[in-house]
Amino acid sequence: MKVITTYIIICFSVLIVSCGGVPEEKSESAGEEKVFAVDEVLEMVSKENDVTRTLYTKAIVGKGKLQGMKFDEDWRKDDVEAGPLPALFLRGVASSIRKGPVPLGLYLGSDFPVNAANKFEGKQADLFQKIKKDQKPEFFYDEEQKLHTAMFADLASADACVTCHNKHPQTTKTDWKLGDVMGATTWQYPKDSLTYKETVAVLNAYAKGTVDIYMAYLDEIEDFKTSEKPEIGDKWPEDGKYLPSAEVFLDSVKKLSSYETMKHLIVSK
Amino acid sequence: MFKVSPLRKRQVIGSVIGVVLGAVMFYVLTLDSTEQYVSIGPMNTGHQELSCFACHADARGNLLQQIQSNISHAVGAREDGVDFGTQDVTVDNCLQCHDRANDRHPTHRFKEPRFKDAVKEINATTCITCHTEHQEERVSVASIDYCKNCHQELEVENDPLDISHKAIIAKKDWFTCIQCHDFHGNHRYDVPEKMSDTIPLKQIQQYFDGGADPYGDNKKYKALSQEAWLESLEK
Repeated sequence: MKVITTYIIICFSVLIVSCGGVPEEKSESAGEEKVFAVDEVLEMVSKENDVTRTLYTKAIVGKGKLQGMKFDEDWRKDDVEAGPLPALFLRGVASSIRKGPVPLGLYLGSDFPVNAANKFEGKQADLFQKIKKDQKPEFFYDEEQKLHTAMFADLASADACVTCHNKHPQTTKTDWKLGDVMGATTWQYPKDSLTYKETVAVLNAYAKGTVDIYMAYLDEIEDFKTSEKPEIGDKWPEDGKYLPSAEVFLDSVKKLSSYETMKHLIVSK
Repeated sequence: MFKVSPLRKRQVIGSVIGVVLGAVMFYVLTLDSTEQYVSIGPMNTGHQELSCFACHADARGNLLQQIQSNISHAVGAREDGVDFGTQDVTVDNCLQCHDRANDRHPTHRFKEPRFKDAVKEINATTCITCHTEHQEERVSVASIDYCKNCHQELEVENDPLDISHKAIIAKKDWFTCIQCHDFHGNHRYDVPEKMSDTIPLKQIQQYFDGGADPYGDNKKYKALSQEAWLESLEK
């Protein structure tokens, strides 16, 4: 009987070993040199975000309002025919990033938010007080979440920011002025350093998020029933009832932001 | 072929019967038609038509490969272990059918550091905290006063409600929130302006248990059916 047991054990072991294991998943970037610190990458993508949001706020929301276009926090509701306000635009970008494979987190908060759920608490609230004073970014490692975190000042860069926030029915502060630090964007990433490919993936995830939310806005316009639909093409609201197509919008973002980003990417190569 | 001691005869016969029965059971219980006997419990409301594979995708490799990989991982010869049998079910599985642009409480929002304390109370970063599957119900959350974890400081300007939100929060009437507001915000309905017009808690509980929808059936987005989900994968 002992022989049979030994025989079975040997056969089973041979069978298991001869099968080989499940191939190990190596990330595409395995073996590649890590060329960027996470802080550097988050700073890069944050600058892209500044350019995108400023463009959207000034050229689409600001000029669009002058043409009679509407922008609303409830822009997703069926009975509201409007586009996303800048904060909602950013949230849309963040949602799109989350749905993709790049583990990048993006959030917006303030100490005087319109939506109480966006109020900073704990460490973020403490760091935000520093940011308000010197407008410099803050970096920390969140031990609980195991995520590298960066916070960047979010400035009142256009009249639209100031007027909308001061007049909003749920505002908690009515004396915002141009240049104020209205809040901060928080970015998170799990690794402390990134390869060239991972860095480009982060930048691409952000760009895709921009296109996704802008496309969602254009889709909403398509469903407008009572409001006049702006013509979508290569013209901007400053020329009349026009909106740039997603391609035109993204091209403008790239033109405005690519020099700084490219400089970073090329220097590291 | 093998000599079996008469004293071990019953043991050997028992082992053979066991192996044969095991093989038959393995075959029968892996058939599509017997899924209900393998399931750990009846599916939740709306999921009754789903097949196991909709959530429980096969893990990579065959069973022997998975055993070898996990043994290797256990003895330190391999960096990561692998899923055994089927892959773990994650939020991504749920979102493949339930992802909606208008979700007012998407799971990813709660990954932000400022929700750390709230998440300790109720882990809203994952669907199963409130929607545990195989319970034959719709919502399985332990207590429906969960709004208290984030909305303590809520103030509504030009509050349309006959009893102000501020007063409700002061009284810690957190069970009343859900009587007007559906958590994910996908229903199209007129939110009541009088407390007397709100949905009775009993109806809410029945809805959570799998009953009729008190917020109405007019929804902006519908979850994908299994067929639509499969088509979306092909695309």
